[in-house]
Amino acid sequence: MRNYIIKRVLGAIPLLICISFLCFVFINLIPSDPAEVALRVSQVPVITEEIIAETRAAMGLDKPYLVRYLDWVINCLHLDFGISYTNPDRTVGGELLRCLPATLVLAGASLVLVIFLSLPIGFFCAVYKDSWFDRITRGFIFMTTAMPAYWVGLLLMWLVSIKFDLLPTSGNGSWKHLILPAFTVSLTYISTYIRLIRNNMLENMKEDYVLYANVRGLPQKSILVKHILKNSLHTCIVAVGMSIPQLIAGTIVVENVFAWPGLGTLCITSIFNRDYPVIQTYVLLIGVLFVVFNLLFDIIQTIADPRLKNEVS
Amino acid sequence: MNKKSFIALGLMAAMSLTILTGCGGSSNDSKASTAKKEDLVFVNYRDIRNLNPHLYAGEMYAQEMLYDGLVNITADGYEGALAESWTISDDGKVYTFKIRKGVKFSNGEICDANAILANFNAIIENKARHTWLEMMNLLVSVSAPDADTFVIELSKPYYPMLTELGVTRPFAMIAPSAMKNGSTKDGVNGYIGTGAYVLSKFETDKYAIFEANPNYWGKKPEIKTITVKVIPDNQTRILALEKGEIDLIFGKNMIDADAVNKYADNKKFKVALSEPTSTRQIVLNTNNGILVDDNVRKALQHATNKEAISQGIFYGIEKPADTLFAKTVPYCNIDLKPYNFDVAVAGNLLDTAGWTKAADGTREKNGQKLALNLLYNSDSVTEKSISEYLQSEYAKIGVNLKIEGQEEQSYRDNMKTGNFDMVFNICWGMPYDPQSSLSAMRAPVYGDYAAQLGLHDKKEIDEAITSILTSTNEEERQKLYAFVLTRLHDDAVYIPITYECNKALYRADLQGVGFTQSQYEVPFTDMHF
Repeated sequence: MRNYIIKRVLGAIPLLICISFLCFVFINLIPSDPAEVALRVSQVPVITEEIIAETRAAMGLDKPYLVRYLDWVINCLHLDFGISYTNPDRTVGGELLRCLPATLVLAGASLVLVIFLSLPIGFFCAVYKDSWFDRITRGFIFMTTAMPAYWVGLLLMWLVSIKFDLLPTSGNGSWKHLILPAFTVSLTYISTYIRLIRNNMLENMKEDYVLYANVRGLPQKSILVKHILKNSLHTCIVAVGMSIPQLIAGTIVVENVFAWPGLGTLCITSIFNRDYPVIQTYVLLIGVLFVVFNLLFDIIQTIADPRLKNEVS
Repeated sequence: MNKKSFIALGLMAAMSLTILTGCGGSSNDSKASTAKKEDLVFVNYRDIRNLNPHLYAGEMYAQEMLYDGLVNITADGYEGALAESWTISDDGKVYTFKIRKGVKFSNGEICDANAILANFNAIIENKARHTWLEMMNLLVSVSAPDADTFVIELSKPYYPMLTELGVTRPFAMIAPSAMKNGSTKDGVNGYIGTGAYVLSKFETDKYAIFEANPNYWGKKPEIKTITVKVIPDNQTRILALEKGEIDLIFGKNMIDADAVNKYADNKKFKVALSEPTSTRQIVLNTNNGILVDDNVRKALQHATNKEAISQGIFYGIEKPADTLFAKTVPYCNIDLKPYNFDVAVAGNLLDTAGWTKAADGTREKNGQKLALNLLYNSDSVTEKSISEYLQSEYAKIGVNLKIEGQEEQSYRDNMKTGNFDMVFNICWGMPYDPQSSLSAMRAPVYGDYAAQLGLHDKKEIDEAITSILTSTNEEERQKLYAFVLTRLHDDAVYIPITYECNKALYRADLQGVGFTQSQYEVPFTDMHF
């Protein structure tokens, strides 16, 4: 087992190098001169050739391409991700650290909502297959998966905050501010997980072990919860593993709509301001998160599932 | 599964709904706070950022709140700020300012001529950043012969000198103790100014709170506390205003035409629109093989229905523009004959230029199709809509217009290098117009220089612009402006589309919402409930 883990971890390293290289290359493929862009976004009114030359030297852009990449990777390993173009007195690392907690709170709250809402609803949809409850839920799922998050966000804001005057429209500061954005983010995931749990349970219900359990006269509740639900959750664990980085990355639009000062707002602002160092580091961070969570949940699943564990051994 | 479980599910769903909606009993806090008559909640799409008054990376409205310059630009001309009065030598080269007595920075430090000299020295240390202001290139010396007198000497007379001193930055004064060893180019230790407000609290990307400056030398503002919230999304800002979480939305791009239209006759909210601040225009590249012919350029002018654009895209909020600068801009109230919308005249002009209609409806000359590309910033929905409209309109006179949206940086690169036939542009706006816009036409910084290269009188125009800036005689200056503006108008280099204006949307009980000569300033000191 230990060898398997070491092998998987070592296997992830080339992938991380590829991600870092792609992040660097894509940002540097942009035809504009980064020095000039940096000056434009810091709103210098007239940009002369002299200021451009001065800025190029200050940013180290006069060095060869590969040297710049290596410098950047080494700096990243030292957690030095450079300076923001728009706010030259702020470091990119500092910006990410500042915004990360807000995004983690939002993603965490959304994950809790996803788990606590999709699990019982998915379960009852499978148990009462084709009942009115199942039909209504499926219709609801069909609708919410098709609705873009920013639109749902604005509709909820209008309905809950303006019409019913129940919650603040936007911002952050108290738990009240968290409810609408968290619900908006989780809505798509709730739909996905309800469907996943329902379908997995229905598949499992056809398995032989359920028939034997019934023949043995086990109580229905026990068969449904201890056997069918438990077996149906394996795929969900992997899906949750991938959903965590997705939730962190997927809050972009919702954060912007609800003025939630997290990574998503930072990313959108940076895209609009062409703050390349921030965009580059954000993409790198999300890439790394996907690799790490994929690895982590693969290992967890291997440990949790005796069949996979035996295969590895 | 039994009935009990199903009831449990129902309860769970009800609980979830309660979590989502059950906190309505307590009304929102911000509503209570904004009810106080001396508090105002303002909104911006991003935070105040770096408010170093000598650099360009901060929000200008916030810099205006914290700092003062030597003079202010008003609708009636210049008004003393930190300088009580001033004299200009007969040769127009020496400006002597009498500094207002008893002015203190918000930390209690005295703001005299020595403090102003320290500020000028810090600005001059970073001169390369400020050469867009011509006065920096003409500056010979600055001195403070005594605590009440400050002197600026230039190598040549320069008429926009007071305007350049009056714009938000970089000539705004910060307390010398907030500088880092007398320098500001690498940052400051605090945002200490002499302005009407002080920054009391700031949370990045969330909000900033400004309190009235107890040491302020001018008329004390009635609004004592201003909270600036950060809300990036246009729709959310409006919903927050409806909810009462904010009191005022202000700015050129903070409210779209739909919203202005929606709230125009509303009882709870008011809308205010300023005089034109800048001109939305299309620059024609005279260095291009087709557009080198002024008949083609004039045909495009006549084929552009600005009234339809103004009504159809801006609901009439942005008025149609007839000239490069509005008549309200200084020196621009001259008699220029607008290019009226007339498709027949446009067609005749193209006929005269030798472009005849082929079977497919597009005009041709010597086997070449009359095809032009129009470049726009893909971030701008407005420019895209105007482009699409023009594409269909120009097709009627046989011009094949290809529209191309580009990412902002490559759009600006192409503009600078002249890699376009037609391109969208917005002039600098008040108070930089017309002097800074015209001055920048002489160097390859924006698209204007490249676009004008095909003009036979480009050299003459550039020389006249230089003469304007150094002229000491008002009458002569007006004459030179008239010459330059007439030439550019007759050469048909710019298709003026509409005049942009500043917009404000605010709760109806807020009084004194207006606009100043600077499009970036929010006049909080005039506001009250």
